[in-house]
Amino acid sequence: MAKRFPIANRVRELRQQHGEMTQTELGEAIGVTRQTVAAIEQRRYSPSLESAFRIARLFKVHLEDVFMWDES
Amino acid sequence: MAFQEKSAWIMIVALTVSGAFYVVAVAMMSSAGELAPPVLPVLVVYTIAQTVMAIIGHICISVFAPKEANARIDEREKLIGHRAAHWSGTVLGVGVVFSLIAYLFSYDGNILFYAIFASLILSQVLEYVLRIVFYRRGVF
Repeated sequence: MAKRFPIANRVRELRQQHGEMTQTELGEAIGVTRQTVAAIEQRRYSPSLESAFRIARLFKVHLEDVFMWDES
Repeated sequence: MAFQEKSAWIMIVALTVSGAFYVVAVAMMSSAGELAPPVLPVLVVYTIAQTVMAIIGHICISVFAPKEANARIDEREKLIGHRAAHWSGTVLGVGVVFSLIAYLFSYDGNILFYAIFASLILSQVLEYVLRIVFYRRGVF
């Protein structure tokens, strides 16, 4: 199994709650590629602080509501 | 598959095929026990072949994904590029140092040239292989 970052996220869930937003649409909104959004959701990449804030602002939630520490 | 990943595959193929051509050309010019000196025409053909393969390959993938081809690389792609270049540079440096040490023992300029050239090709191939690995497994 591929190594995963210890930062979990609710990006996929938040996308679905916001009108089934696609990975491409989210990527375009925060300035990354669809593949990078997929990597974030699968915990293969931890976004920069700036991108993390962009995601949280886009979904109108706090940063901690999107990303959380999870070493399990 | 990301555009940059496809690009890395193209460069691996171009580097490998042109590198194989160069090895075969040098082997054919060499006689038993004597390494042929590097000659400009072979290097020119090698360079042109590699460049043409890279250009044609990138045109092909750009035709099928023009939007991705024109997109700026994002933060993850930059990180992947930097990390792969770091290891590639390390391999190139080690290769050059070993080549120079080999020269001090052999005083053979041909071997020095080929050893440094091989280090350059290997480091480039490694860079693109690592890019693909980082794209697929994540960059940690």
